[in-house]
Amino acid sequence: MVELKDVSVTYSDSGVEALNHVNLKINDGDFAFVVGSSGAGKSTLIKLILKEINATDGTVMVNGFNLKKLRRSKIPQLRRTIGVVFQDFRLIPTMTVYENIAFVLRVIDAPPKYIRSRVPYVISLVGLSHKAKSYPTQLSGGEQQRVALARALVNDPALIIADEPTGNIDPALSYEIVDLFKGINECGTTILMVTHEHDIVRHFGGRIINIDHGQVTFDEVVEGNYENQ
Amino acid sequence: MKISSMGYLVKQGAKNVWTNRMMSFASYCIILVSLIMVGISILIFLNLDKIISGIEGKSEVVVQLDDNIEKSAIQTLEETIKSVDNVDTVVFYSKEEAWNSMIEDMTKEEKELFQYADDDNPLPDTFKLTIKDINRMSDTTNQIATFGGVTDVKSPTSFANVLIGIQRIISLISVAIVAALIVVCLIIISNTTRSSVYARKKEINIMKYVGATNAFIRIPFFIEGMIVGLLSAISALLLTKFAYEAVYNILSDDFQLWTTLGVKTLYSFSDLFSIVALSYIIAGAVIGAVGTSISINKHLAV
Repeated sequence: MVELKDVSVTYSDSGVEALNHVNLKINDGDFAFVVGSSGAGKSTLIKLILKEINATDGTVMVNGFNLKKLRRSKIPQLRRTIGVVFQDFRLIPTMTVYENIAFVLRVIDAPPKYIRSRVPYVISLVGLSHKAKSYPTQLSGGEQQRVALARALVNDPALIIADEPTGNIDPALSYEIVDLFKGINECGTTILMVTHEHDIVRHFGGRIINIDHGQVTFDEVVEGNYENQ
Repeated sequence: MKISSMGYLVKQGAKNVWTNRMMSFASYCIILVSLIMVGISILIFLNLDKIISGIEGKSEVVVQLDDNIEKSAIQTLEETIKSVDNVDTVVFYSKEEAWNSMIEDMTKEEKELFQYADDDNPLPDTFKLTIKDINRMSDTTNQIATFGGVTDVKSPTSFANVLIGIQRIISLISVAIVAALIVVCLIIISNTTRSSVYARKKEINIMKYVGATNAFIRIPFFIEGMIVGLLSAISALLLTKFAYEAVYNILSDDFQLWTTLGVKTLYSFSDLFSIVALSYIIAGAVIGAVGTSISINKHLAV
């Protein structure tokens, strides 16, 4: 669960007010698209949830953590409850697909036996079992994004944040990727997907949050074309 | 942290040495050169210290005795002086021996002039002492001067002070050189690895996003630096051994030089092996590990 109460963020170096008195609640099991033009405040929202930056005003609660009171040393614990998928995949190039995913479990001190059973399972969920030993550079953009998704999923986080996950891949594959997210959401994981691809949003529908000039200007559930088909 | 995780991180660190081999080699060379310079400083210091100790051993203290002292009292006094803890050797030198020695050193004309003066020998009986620690020379001579039967104690105090001064200056210079080299080495290593770390900034960033602690991120870098430092230390030890033994073989043949200086010869490398090896291994590992770790600090604040 993510809850922002009257949150403002002003960047001290530039003086830019990126978020302005935002109130937002994303419940467990929600699937929400966050849309908005460049500089609207979408990235700031993600940074805030990951505690990469702090709110200037207001309260941010993420998966039971009050980020205002969260000590620096406890940030890793917060991040272990969140899976993140980036536009540029951010896979470690010197590690294989298997190692990139297993790495997340090693970070949380998971037993080797669990890693050996969990990682192949998650790789199979994203349909890449045959590429487990490949390096990221040997994969297409769509495949890399699926690895990133598997990595976000492997430690069974309560929330997955996807920052423009379809931005760097073939449009035809974009729908496949969002379909994967939908499938994960159906299993109970909360998904917060930032995108500027209106076609995808229109196609899938669901909860849509529009941010403009640091404020939430629209927050409603919209029916998608996909559901009409 | 579990043992399995620790094993994984150590393995990652070792793997990174090869993955980043160009940067590892650059760090290896820098640490190698610095360690050899540190080693040379240590070896020069230890050998100079040995030479100075040899010279100290040659500086004599002369204890003059009362003309009326009994033979039996001389023996008792000799035992008393020997029991002083800073006294190394004691040799009795009778007034007759002193007279004969003085006559021997005279020219023919002088000898003729003094040949009839045997009955009126003005020289005193003496003890010639060598002392162990030149730093405590004054205390020792003052103590001996209070003994019964002693009229005067002559010691080369100014010479001793010069030696003590030289010894102190050499110690200070050695410590300063070693400290400066370690600092310079840390700066160079952290700068050398900075570009390598920068290239892995993305990797560190990803680790932070998936919830890795700073320690989890640092350990492989730490291990990587430590391995490079240890490899440098082993190479530096071998190079120092060959170079030192070559110098040792040349200098140890000059018997006259060492006799003059009061030492048998320089330390052999096997005498100093443990101190040099220990210094290299500790310094190499610490410089490598700390130098590498410094450069990742600024990337951890994500």
